[in-house]
Amino acid sequence: MLFKAAPKRGMMVNFAYRRPKSLAEALDFLSSCGNKTKVLAGGTDLTVDLRQGSAQPEYVLDTSRLDELKGIELSNGQLCIGAGVTLTEIYESALLERYTPALQKCAATFASKQIRNVATIGGNVAHCSPCADTLPPLLIHEAKAILASNKGLRETPIEDVASGPYESSLRPDEIILRFILKPSKDINFADFQKIGRRKALATARITMAFMARQDADRKISFLRFALGACTPTPQRIALVEDYLACRVPTVQTLWEAGGLLAESVLEITGRRPSASYKEPAVRGLSVRMLYPLVHVGA
Amino acid sequence: MGCETVRICCTINSRQKTIDIPANLTALQLLRDVLKLKGTKEGCGIGECGACTIQVDGKAVNACLMLAAQLDGRNIITIEGLGESGKLHPLQESFGKNHAVQCGFCTPGLVMSAKALLDENPSPNRAQISKAIAGNLCRCTGYQQIFSSIEDAIQGGSEEGHDG
Repeated sequence: MLFKAAPKRGMMVNFAYRRPKSLAEALDFLSSCGNKTKVLAGGTDLTVDLRQGSAQPEYVLDTSRLDELKGIELSNGQLCIGAGVTLTEIYESALLERYTPALQKCAATFASKQIRNVATIGGNVAHCSPCADTLPPLLIHEAKAILASNKGLRETPIEDVASGPYESSLRPDEIILRFILKPSKDINFADFQKIGRRKALATARITMAFMARQDADRKISFLRFALGACTPTPQRIALVEDYLACRVPTVQTLWEAGGLLAESVLEITGRRPSASYKEPAVRGLSVRMLYPLVHVGA
Repeated sequence: MGCETVRICCTINSRQKTIDIPANLTALQLLRDVLKLKGTKEGCGIGECGACTIQVDGKAVNACLMLAAQLDGRNIITIEGLGESGKLHPLQESFGKNHAVQCGFCTPGLVMSAKALLDENPSPNRAQISKAIAGNLCRCTGYQQIFSSIEDAIQGGSEEGHDG
C-alpha cells in the first residue's frame, strides 16, 4: 500500500530518513552528509522544528535505537549516562537516584509522561534550548559530553555544548555519545526547581539545581548551584556558591544569596522588560529551593 | 529533492501491517490520514495537549511528536484497539458512567494515558494517576470526573477479579 500525503498545515519539508544499525554506520553517514542532516535522538523537539519549518534538512538520521548510546553506569568513580537514555529511564534509575538526585528530580518533572518516554538526555542537551531542563543538574555535576565522530572521541565541558541559544558547538560530523558526571559524594541536600506556566509541559521560565553538604556544625562545606532558562545558556553561578560556602546559613543569608543571583541574571541578560518579574521570581525560587539548609535539623 | 518512501512493518492493534510511507509523515498522520483510525485526535500538534496519545511498545507517547518511520518494528495500540468484539474496555465504560466525557476530544488520549498507567501499575494512587495524565489537557470537565473514572475502573477491575 502506497500513500501520498496531501499537503496540509504543518507539512514538513521532504527529507530522507536513515536509521543506522551501528554507531560506526551513523558516524560514516555524518562524515559525508552531516551538514545536510538533522540527528533524531527521540524526536520530540525535532518533529516540532520540522513542522514549523525551522529545521529543513535533507536527511533525518534516527539514532534512537543505537545500543552504543544507551546505558547508565558507575565505573572508576564516574557516572556515565548514554546520550540515548530517555528521561523515563533517568527517573527510574536507582543509580541516579542515589548519585544525581537533582537530575532525577528534574526527570520526574520533565514535560509529560508521553514525552519522558521518548525524549533523551542527549537530545535535550544537543538542541541547545536555553530552557533545557537537564542542563542545571548536569552543570552541578560538572558534566562532560563525550562527542564521537569518524575522527575519534573528544570531550567537552557541558557548558560548551551550546555556544548560544539553539546554537550548538558540535561539528556536523559529531554526535554526543555519552555524558560523564561526578557523582555526588557525602551531600545531604539536593534539589531541582522550575517555574513554568503550568506544572506539566510548560516551557520553563526559570530552572535551578543545587547540591550541598552541610556539616554537623551546620556550616555549608560544599555547594554547587546552577541556573537555567533565564540566561542565554544555563550556567553555574559562582557568586551564589562563593557567598554561601563556609557559612552557617540563615533565612537572611539565603535572601542575600538570592539577591546576588538576581543581580547576576541582570548582569548577564541586561535589564529587559521581563526583569520586574524575573528578579523577584529568581530570588524567591532560590530561597524556596535552599530553605531546607536553614530549616532541616534547626 | 523528491520525497523518499520508507517501508515500515509494525503491529497496529494486533494486526501486522507493512506500509510504504513518505519519510516526512508523522505517526499521527499515518494513523489518521492513511489508516483512517480517526480515534486518535490532533489537538495542538506540538506535544502539549495529549489528544494524540497512543501506546508504542506499551508506553504512552504523543503520536504528533513521532515520525511514522519511527514505528517500524514496534507494537502500536490506539484507542480503536481497546475493548473487544463490541464490548468497551473497562476504562471506556467507566469514563461514560462517570460523566468524564463532555466534548469528547481529549477522551481517547486520556483513556490511552490511563491504560498505559494501569498496564504498568494496576493499582496507582491519586498522585500517580495525576502524574500519568498531566500531559493530557481537558478543557471541559475540570478533571474530577476523569480521576473518578480511572479510580472506578481500578476498583471495578479488582471486583471483577474477585467475582471471577
